[in-house]
Amino acid sequence: GKEKASQLFYEGSAFDPTAFAEHLLSFMGLNRLEDEEDDHQNEATRDGYLPKDAWHRLAKHTEGCFSTAPSFHYMMGSFHAEPPPPKQRVE
Amino acid sequence: MSRQLGDGHRRFLQTMMGVYIIDELKAKALYQYCCETFKMQCAADRLDEFIETINLKLQPMFMQVRKGMSEENGHQYYALVNTAETDITRMTSDYADNELELFRKTMDLIVGSEKGTASSTDILNSTDTMTSKKLKKSETEHLLTRLVQDKWLCEKRGEYTLSTRCIIEMEPYIRSMYQDQVKMCHICHNVAFQCQICENPSCGIKIHNPCVARYFKGKMEPQCPACDDFWPHEIPEVRGLRSQSKK
Amino acid sequence: TSQVQRGLEKLTPAQVDQKTAEVVQYFLMKDQKKIPVRRADLVKYVVKDYRTIYPEIIKRAARTFEQVFGLKLVEIDPKHHMYILVNNLETATSRAAPVECPTNPKMGLLFVILSVIFMKGGTVKENLIWNTLKKLRVDPGQKHEEFGDVKKVVTDEFVRQKYLEYLRIPHTEPVEYEFRWGPRADAEVSKARILEFMGKLHEQDPRSWTQQYREAHATQNSS
Ligand SMILES: [Zn+2]
Ligand SMILES: [Zn+2]
Repeated sequence: GKEKASQLFYEGSAFDPTAFAEHLLSFMGLNRLEDEEDDHQNEATRDGYLPKDAWHRLAKHTEGCFSTAPSFHYMMGSFHAEPPPPKQRVE
Repeated sequence: MSRQLGDGHRRFLQTMMGVYIIDELKAKALYQYCCETFKMQCAADRLDEFIETINLKLQPMFMQVRKGMSEENGHQYYALVNTAETDITRMTSDYADNELELFRKTMDLIVGSEKGTASSTDILNSTDTMTSKKLKKSETEHLLTRLVQDKWLCEKRGEYTLSTRCIIEMEPYIRSMYQDQVKMCHICHNVAFQCQICENPSCGIKIHNPCVARYFKGKMEPQCPACDDFWPHEIPEVRGLRSQSKK
Repeated sequence: TSQVQRGLEKLTPAQVDQKTAEVVQYFLMKDQKKIPVRRADLVKYVVKDYRTIYPEIIKRAARTFEQVFGLKLVEIDPKHHMYILVNNLETATSRAAPVECPTNPKMGLLFVILSVIFMKGGTVKENLIWNTLKKLRVDPGQKHEEFGDVKKVVTDEFVRQKYLEYLRIPHTEPVEYEFRWGPRADAEVSKARILEFMGKLHEQDPRSWTQQYREAHATQNSS
């Protein structure tokens, strides 16, 4: 065990995008239709659905990776100041 | 007094950029958080002073953290606003030109109405008179959803009102553009949309619902503060005094 | 710079302040959609007659961003003179803020793409990205309810924002494309933090990805 681990450490472990995707699905709260379908070799990954806030959840948890500037939004000043047309009374 | 800002001020400002508007209680919590995180001195009653320090630096950029009241619950809110219209501010692309036109038409409807509301039907109908590219029904509905999400409008059962964020930022604009139509609240002197109106035809003053609640609280015979006539409306309860407990 | 000096002498301090404020406003406005600012546009639409003192104005705008907003003005393309704003304040704090800013779900999508590129050594063929996204129920050929036209978001929006580069691989038939990090990602995204998240996700020591770990910590120190 220990020997293998240090060897791994030396050579570096490989990154597997499929495993990554599987981990992400669990992290985002995938509701699996089949119970306990854990082997990621299986292309049955189509099964199950993500909750509505899945991508929000991921964005929230990875926010710390980004040093994004907040942006400033406004309404006043985005269009020409113009008085409304004279009001016709139709009542 | 041109004090330098610290990271606490900057964090406060950045948060305001992200959330657009917060109530007084949250503003206080945020103020405290910013002070603690960046090891600044913090006194509970110094929030407005803290904001004033930020505002002094924002002024040259025509920006401001501005305070205003919610017409719905009477609580105080803070919003980060733009204060001037220039060639540059008009380049913003959050909304397309025709979307902005419809927003203006919606404001016209709301300000011009008795109750300070506009129905979705009226807004949809007003697309007929658009001068820029006419919005389809589905586009209009989508736009209205976005305007509510972005906190420019509020919606209740198909009726749209101006949000607190909108009123805080647009107040000077509304005052000057709708001079003949808009009335001020007799109590707090801000523009009034969600309000009660004195029924004396020679008076007709307006008072915000929360201002009514506070002004007439505990009075047996409510009288108009302007003409002394009997105030015939139902007096609402003062709402949820979460943060306004000091007065 | 002496030209700048002479230019400054012809103007009142108020005029220079005013121009600086306009430049700041222009940057903030462009940053609403994370579009980098080109010097050419900045001069054309804002600086105008003040172009002789341009270096001084950009310096003052940068100072305002730093001192007032806690932001950093970064030139991401010295050849074409493009600028972006990044956050200068520490993003991770020990205690959660009492007020949370709404998050943009697209940043989650972007995170996945940047992570795969980084973990795969900096360049990946587009198919690897599309296949990974498909596993996450995001199909570039279909309209996604959160992102709409996914392919457009990834190859157009993220590219214009300079988060990604989407390049044709030369001499391929049929035509193939590959993805790389764009200069905004280099300025804004922490590889060390990505690796940390990877470690948690895979329940694995981040240092076990030797290559990536070395890179993440080398770039961290140099920038
Ligand atoms: Zn009032
Ligand atoms: Zn009266």
